[in-house]
Amino acid sequence: MSVRTLEGNARFWALAACLFWLAFTLFPLYWVVITSFKSPLGVVGGPTYIPFVDFEPTLTAWSELLSGQRGQFFSTFIASTIIGLSAAFLATAIGSMAAYALVRFTFEVRLLSAVIFVVIAFGGYLLCRHYLGVGQATSLIYAFIAALALSIISSRFKLPGPVLGNDDIVFWFVSQRMFPPIVAAFALYLMYTEMGKLGFKLVDTYWGLTFAYIAFSLPIVIWLMRDFFAALPIEVEEAAMVDNVPTWRIFFGIVLPMSKPGLIATFMITLAFVWNEFLFALFLTNSKWQTLPILVAGQNSQRGDEWWSISAAALVAIIPMVVMAGLLSRLMRSGLLLGAIK
Amino acid sequence: MTRNDPIKHVFIWPALLIVLIISIFPLIYSLTTSFMSLRLVPPMPARFVGFGNYAELLQNPRFWNVAKTTSIIAFISVALQYVVGFSVALALNRRVPGEGLFRVTFLLPMLVAPVAVALVARQVLNPTMGPLNELMTFFGFPNLPFLTQTSWALGAIIVVEVWQWTPFVILMMLAGLQTLPDDVYEAASLENASPWQQFWGITFPMMLPISVAVVFIRLIESYKIIDTVFVMTGGGPGISTETLTLFAYQEGFKKFNLGYTSALSFLFLIVITVIGLVYLAILKPYLEKHK
Repeated sequence: MSVRTLEGNARFWALAACLFWLAFTLFPLYWVVITSFKSPLGVVGGPTYIPFVDFEPTLTAWSELLSGQRGQFFSTFIASTIIGLSAAFLATAIGSMAAYALVRFTFEVRLLSAVIFVVIAFGGYLLCRHYLGVGQATSLIYAFIAALALSIISSRFKLPGPVLGNDDIVFWFVSQRMFPPIVAAFALYLMYTEMGKLGFKLVDTYWGLTFAYIAFSLPIVIWLMRDFFAALPIEVEEAAMVDNVPTWRIFFGIVLPMSKPGLIATFMITLAFVWNEFLFALFLTNSKWQTLPILVAGQNSQRGDEWWSISAAALVAIIPMVVMAGLLSRLMRSGLLLGAIK
Repeated sequence: MTRNDPIKHVFIWPALLIVLIISIFPLIYSLTTSFMSLRLVPPMPARFVGFGNYAELLQNPRFWNVAKTTSIIAFISVALQYVVGFSVALALNRRVPGEGLFRVTFLLPMLVAPVAVALVARQVLNPTMGPLNELMTFFGFPNLPFLTQTSWALGAIIVVEVWQWTPFVILMMLAGLQTLPDDVYEAASLENASPWQQFWGITFPMMLPISVAVVFIRLIESYKIIDTVFVMTGGGPGISTETLTLFAYQEGFKKFNLGYTSALSFLFLIVITVIGLVYLAILKPYLEKHK
């Protein structure tokens, strides 16, 4: 008898508790599925639970939804899919490159260079904006370029003060995730509006929203992929280096194929995050690139208690991620993700 | 060992640039705005007011109310998530029958869009036509005001949060439990330690580091809550279930009071940082004791 198995009464109570939690988890999902097949009368008449037994299922809600009577579901679904897939892909790609660099190469940033960046960025902005009378967006761009250039130049010199290593840089990336997104979302909206006045339309555009999502997925991608790359055996890469294989080919030809499970898992986690995200989409889009969560949330106020159609709308947002979860657990069982989750 | 190779810059700069542009740009902008009086509707020229916005916010009872509501939701729901999630993970780790099925289905809620969850919750909690009402009527409590009375509404939001995010705790705790060595438990059962003693003597202390991390992540994330509340109650009744992010949204997007909203979001950032630091400071001695 292994110490890991329960016996007797304990086993019974654990099973009972798990079954209770299972019911609690599944009931809302079951409810939304059956409600989407109810007729308007069937909803108003009070709760009914089992299709064909206490109510007759109809396809009213779904046909209304698909025929476009309930808002632009089709185009919103497409927009959500495009933004979700491309943001998750780009974030995984860019984040993996950075994570790999942070695992295998030495980085040293002097704290003073970072301080120079912040000071010049703020000072430059205030200077341009309030003393030179330059426009808001323009002064931000000037200040940013000046700050970046000066801090890179300053990092060439041996400045005094503490040196930040790889771990500090990783911590800096990951700590971005701690930010309440409202700080960034609101400011980004203002920034995008300012950029719009310069002729670069970013509010309610593909790039505007995708860039925001990439930036806010990067912390989690770097965090996950760093653990993953660190666990890879370095011997293979060293052997390739002895043969003078260039680093970029080691990365794309050897490291990435070896980390496929981790990449897939990270991509899916990022996709789920982007797909369900609400706040940025609320601020940064208004019609053309609106995503599903916004449209679904809007159903509530527009339709009152028309639950059959609200349920169908909610399911459009739920189903793709549930299908993805099914795929993910399939992958896990087939052993492809073995070692991906430590 | 790490090595030095100029190509490292090609690898890291795309990520660095995007994060710098998307988070530093707006940060500079909104920090400077927070020291100004700036409105879009009605349009007003920017005027430097120093800490005026901050002072005004700190004197606004609505701000304190909103901070209190958010803290109540965050702390209670995270505590429940941790207790339930840890228990379920323990059961799954001990190979409860049907463990494979539980493992997959228990993770589902985490993947469902919070907005959709809130819409479903509204249906289930409807005071006249919802299934929960029928259950409560059966017990003799018909038409409870689940979403229209402050304490019920707060409770409902907390339950929805627990439903949605306990899976995350289960996932992390299960991963942690699977790394615990078997031999310690074998030794403990030879000594006739009861399961209760084994839990408090072995499992809990060994799981403490991962517990601290999980609770930390959930706490920070819970403070950001907006979508669930936005759909379920819209902050109501009145403003009694309004959260920090929702308050900022109302001020910024409905009233276009830019300076004030920027100050609010920075106060929010400070609140989160303080809570995070205090939490880590309180738990540090325990973490070191069990090292």
